[in-house]
Amino acid sequence: MDTRTELPFEIRDYLRLDRMPHFLCPGCGHGIALRALLNAVHELGIDRDDLAVVSGIGCSGRLSAYIDANTVHATHGRPLAFATGLKLARPDLHVVVITGDGDCLAIGGNHLIHACRRNLDLTCLMLNNEVYGMTGGQASPTTAAARYTTTTPLGNHEPVFDACKLAEGAGASFVGREVTLQAPALKNLIREAIAHPGFAFVEVMSDCTEIYGRKNELGSSPEMVLRQKHDVRPESYGNAVERPFRPGPWRTGVLAKNERAEFGAAYRAHCRAHHGGGPGDV
Amino acid sequence: MNEAAHAIDPAAVAAAPRPTNVLVVGVGGQGVIMVSKVLARLAQRHDLEIKQSEVHGMAKRGGSVFSHVRFGPQVWAPTIPVGEADVLVALEWAEGLRWLPYVDPERGTFIADTKRIVPPFGCTDRRRGATLAYPGTAVADVVGLVPHAYALDAEGMASELGNPRVANTLLLGVLSTVLDFGVGEWREVLAEFVPAGTVETNLAAIETGRAWALDVAARGVLPLAAAPARAPAVDVPTGAVRLDIEAAWCKGCDICVKFCPELCLRLNAERVVELTDPAACTGCRICEWLCPDLALAVRNVASPAEAPA
Amino acid sequence: MNAVVRPRNLQGNRACALAAIEAGCRFYGGYPITPSSEIAECMAAELPRVDGVFVQMEDEIASMGAVVGASIGGVKAMTATSGPGFSLKQENLGYAAAAEVPCVIVNVMRGGPSTGLPTRPAQGDVMQARWGTHGDHPVIVLTPASVMEIHAETRRAFELAERYRVPVVLLYDEVLGHLVETVAAPADAGASATRRFASGPADAYQPYRPGADGIPDMARPGDGYRTHTTGLIHDEDGFPTQAPARVGAVMARLLGKLDAHRDAIERAECVDCGDAEVVVVAYGITARAAARAVAEARARGIRAGLFRPITLWPFAERAFAAATRGARRIVVAELNAGQLALEIERLAGRERVGRLNRLDGEPLAPAAVLAAIADAAGATGER
Repeated sequence: MDTRTELPFEIRDYLRLDRMPHFLCPGCGHGIALRALLNAVHELGIDRDDLAVVSGIGCSGRLSAYIDANTVHATHGRPLAFATGLKLARPDLHVVVITGDGDCLAIGGNHLIHACRRNLDLTCLMLNNEVYGMTGGQASPTTAAARYTTTTPLGNHEPVFDACKLAEGAGASFVGREVTLQAPALKNLIREAIAHPGFAFVEVMSDCTEIYGRKNELGSSPEMVLRQKHDVRPESYGNAVERPFRPGPWRTGVLAKNERAEFGAAYRAHCRAHHGGGPGDV
Repeated sequence: MNEAAHAIDPAAVAAAPRPTNVLVVGVGGQGVIMVSKVLARLAQRHDLEIKQSEVHGMAKRGGSVFSHVRFGPQVWAPTIPVGEADVLVALEWAEGLRWLPYVDPERGTFIADTKRIVPPFGCTDRRRGATLAYPGTAVADVVGLVPHAYALDAEGMASELGNPRVANTLLLGVLSTVLDFGVGEWREVLAEFVPAGTVETNLAAIETGRAWALDVAARGVLPLAAAPARAPAVDVPTGAVRLDIEAAWCKGCDICVKFCPELCLRLNAERVVELTDPAACTGCRICEWLCPDLALAVRNVASPAEAPA
Repeated sequence: MNAVVRPRNLQGNRACALAAIEAGCRFYGGYPITPSSEIAECMAAELPRVDGVFVQMEDEIASMGAVVGASIGGVKAMTATSGPGFSLKQENLGYAAAAEVPCVIVNVMRGGPSTGLPTRPAQGDVMQARWGTHGDHPVIVLTPASVMEIHAETRRAFELAERYRVPVVLLYDEVLGHLVETVAAPADAGASATRRFASGPADAYQPYRPGADGIPDMARPGDGYRTHTTGLIHDEDGFPTQAPARVGAVMARLLGKLDAHRDAIERAECVDCGDAEVVVVAYGITARAAARAVAEARARGIRAGLFRPITLWPFAERAFAAATRGARRIVVAELNAGQLALEIERLAGRERVGRLNRLDGEPLAPAAVLAAIADAAGATGER
């Protein structure tokens, strides 16, 4: 056990300091999510050597490079596929996937639904900023109605995905959503997701301040973060009107949780039952 | 038969012109209303007239809550006048002190949990080491202010039973030795009001409270002395804090500046954050949590000397 | 692993799967596609017996991604597919090449393009196997021509992949995949090369600093190195760089890393090439027809020879040059419109090279190759 986990959380212990400062734009919500993740990892007492972070392509995909752990910056949309192989081969590792709304729901949508179905012990953080930021601000599957992006010059006319409902419908055994504004709650949610033995999907409502925010005149970085307050409906207030798609209120908190057989353990048990032996930890 | 020397005989109550007055006080979420409902139902079973008058709702969770319960052959006014409460049941120490003048100076009984819940306005000075705005009155200080008093660590005793939330029922157990309803009645009525899954724990709690009260009465010890004074149940940060800024990481998004409750951050001419008033920083960590650039860190330091002047 | 010592009748695809397990493969990510599915089926049955993991992924892309992920985890990993699936795997195959993640990809070729001829043999993926993913990249492609050789080359594929940290493509066709032949692997086959994992102090470790052989040691997660793996062009520390001098240097090493090991990687068979006037170049299923055609040509007095690349890429240039030094004519026989012929023309000159192609879903028969040899011999003025 890494002794640093017994000390107060010190983010520098979990960062590759020689890579800092990170490349994210001023006010980008992804940085807040990164801190929440690292704080959760610390509280769980996970040794950095036993942590693997697999990310995709896009602004969210770059976060893995700053984390002092075993990190993989995979191909666009495929981090869940990479992570599935990694976790099945190495059940001893804690595997966290960082992905974005385009990476996870568009090009990687098939991998998401099957990861949910399989219920392998992975934690998937989908940082939703409603836009393809890295490529210059194109519309994504979560771009809200009427929002302007470089590919919706007349305002977005496409319906959006409710990622959490998608994940729950596909069978994810843990589904949660939180806003970056509620950073301590986000930390707690991520902590619970990582501790959950099965596939855990967490949608983080993040802000793209410099591209999406400017294009849609959503205000300064502080104003964008504060705006989240008005768009959120914590799960405990279950009597509010149900509105499935953005703009809000978005239900936040733990939205679904059940105990379903974890894929890797079930596979190993299944093999052992048939062959006496069976795949063990490598 | 009375189980304690100062218990109230229902027959005397029936003859007396004045109803029995029980004031139940505490803070939101503790179960003040439950205690008063149990009491009202007991009285109802004896065909007594009941008036139960409570303030809640405004209080929400953590705010001040009180409930006047009056019962007798005839009850006119809904609230108890000052100095006429036969029993004051306090689920929280300071709330009990607040209502002490209501206790009948001749024959009143004060039953209090020594639990302390510091309200938000008791923490207006958010700096480390600040003193809490909470009454310093100790348990011993109450001796002599009321004719009879029981002060106990009800929450601690309830925790030992497996559920700190049954502290209110434990106080009911103490109260049951003061009012002369039958033991079985208390148990029956209690079972009606508590959630189905908690009946067993609640019955154990009322028994524990009764046993404790009867024991201190039988041994003649001062009930107050039997109760350990409890430390405030609030985590008051001690030591000093220091806000460290990694200026090279800051991209000047302004989030910390706008969110700082103490208004002690600003962006300098280079749009890099700086701390304008170190003494004002309370170490609340809002800036640290929300800094997208991971440039802010609140660190505990051993002494104020290590904190920036 | 137990070496296979007693002869047994094996289907080509099954021989491939069993050899992979013998080579230490403990992860298979697959997706069903004709005519490769028997490999997945065999792995699903056999891997649990050896503490391995088989997973059928949601698509071809995911199966390749899972293989790369498992290999990053330090486990020998493989997938198998055919034409359309091979196309889908190219992106992550390129990732493996760029990030130098060892893995083995079997492509049991079928007629193309597109869905093509799923149950018919072809050799149309020769160039895709070499250049299928975008950008310049190192790759090794092996083309066995018998079930016995599928067994041997599958084992060698793992050896090469692990030793040189490169994706290795095993390329054969529908006929070989479904062919049953007697296999008797040598008793001394032994386990194939194990990966060279990083050791020594973590502070000094650079994930892409080459060893003496030009190949960097690979860090295993959990060993304390905490490296970053990316498909972006990266410096020796593993992190992205765009500095032209660094990009140039790391690309030069990446693209040249196999050059120093060409002798170990290249493998080819020469039959009667010493005095051959006509050399047939053929690989895989076509080489079997070509071998018989060469024998028949010899019986008829034509000095014919066969050059059969077993390692297709990097192409065995020196062996080829030696085998064709005296040849007047070279005939490239293949089940495509002329793909390896391009490489042969580059090496031997267009004037010396003739082509024999077939694209109708049927293999080339010895008679057709013999006829081509005879034509070529006529052109050389023999007989």
